[in-house]
Amino acid sequence: MPALHTLFMNAISEERNLQVSRRTLLGTGSKLAIGGTAAMVAMSSPAFARLVAAQAFTDDLDVLNYALTLEHLEYAFYRDGLAGYSADVFDDGVYDNLIDIRDHEDAHVDALISTINDLGGTPVEEAEYDFGYQNAAGFLAVAAALENTGVSAYDGAAASIENVAILNAAGSIVAVEARHASYLNLINGDDPFPAAFETPLSRDEILAIAGPFIVG
Amino acid sequence: MSQLKAARYHESLTSALTQAQAHRSSRRAALRTSLVATGGAAIVLTGPSVFGFRSAMAQDFAGPVDVLNYALTLEHLEATFYREFNDEFSAMDIESAGFGSNVRGRLESIEAHEAEHVDVLVTVIDSLGGTPVTEAMYNFGVTDVDSYIATAQVLENLGTGAYTGAAQFLIDEDDLLTAALTIHGVEARHASYLNVLNGDSPFPEAFETALTPAEVLAAAGPLIVSEMPDTGTGAGTDAPGLGTYAALGALGLGAAAVVARTRESRTREEAVAVRA
Repeated sequence: MPALHTLFMNAISEERNLQVSRRTLLGTGSKLAIGGTAAMVAMSSPAFARLVAAQAFTDDLDVLNYALTLEHLEYAFYRDGLAGYSADVFDDGVYDNLIDIRDHEDAHVDALISTINDLGGTPVEEAEYDFGYQNAAGFLAVAAALENTGVSAYDGAAASIENVAILNAAGSIVAVEARHASYLNLINGDDPFPAAFETPLSRDEILAIAGPFIVG
Repeated sequence: MSQLKAARYHESLTSALTQAQAHRSSRRAALRTSLVATGGAAIVLTGPSVFGFRSAMAQDFAGPVDVLNYALTLEHLEATFYREFNDEFSAMDIESAGFGSNVRGRLESIEAHEAEHVDVLVTVIDSLGGTPVTEAMYNFGVTDVDSYIATAQVLENLGTGAYTGAAQFLIDEDDLLTAALTIHGVEARHASYLNVLNGDSPFPEAFETALTPAEVLAAAGPLIVSEMPDTGTGAGTDAPGLGTYAALGALGLGAAAVVARTRESRTREEAVAVRA
């Protein structure tokens, strides 16, 4: 069976390579800071086939804290960023949707913390971040990069989850991240669904993308 | 189609979604309270829910092939849907209905994605020694561009919920799980976009609602009017298959998810994506 599974991965990998050859996955967000640039490079890499074999997580708690690290980053990004902008700097309706996204990330953070505590673990804390954007357009570009990266992170980590209930929870979060990513691509003028398949990324790849945002 | 049939259909098609949505508030409450209140690792390991989720029912599927055929059943339906109505409605038809000039291209992109999903699932099921379910005959009840876009929205949200609910059955198959999730995310992207196009929130809740096979079956079944003459019975298990869907279709429920949409909402994409 493993060889056949590999076939599935290869089939998808081939499909994706076709897509990647036509466009960058994150579009042309020229205002992206270094983190976004790294994202574009990493997401173009043919890392898919070898991804699942990588056992980068020690247990489910490790996966949950990995997810929490990203959710902290996302929530802080929207919370602090939106506090600096009024609704009228965005197109009609966009601000309200950004508020919804902020609230979703907040809910993800809370749920992950509760679950980690319940499992006897220690939730990672929010860090200090520098997202490097200069204006509302830059904010939206970074938002899109974060959401697309989030989808890849969950997709890359899911296979490491051992508990069914935690997998279900991760699945319910990643779909919402994908919805965010679609919308943010759209309002950045990019394709909301640039490929037929998402691109799972390994922990190392994700940390290379998100790391530059974390300053302390 | 009669008004009554249309109404019945719409009720049927959306019931699984709305029923799940009715759980939204309790789900949100569960997020903050149930894990703590019921406490400890034991509930996570053996209990009915995390984040308000129902537990896995392993007996829903006999094995990975059945899960993949379940997914393929939905992908066939979606692929056929877009193929049929992208052919029926021209770019001009879509613009004339009040949608932005970029909508047509998006619908073609979604059509291509669904076709790719079908191709990959068929290939893998074959490789696993299973029998891929084949395309059935469908009655989507689409009568105009508005009902096309409205039905697309329902199908994509349904598909997202279906994958969200079914991923757990692949927990022991790491590669298949990862692959399924890479489809799942794209269905969610489609759903988000189609919600926008229909004037709804692209992301109505913080956590996606997982749908059970039974819920998905109840919603999608009425669209499937028969199996194709050469259709097999899938992997020969009691998992939801075309036979079951066809039986539901035989209940005579028609198909027309006609949701009244204002011109304002139809042009939403232009409003939110002026640079697209």
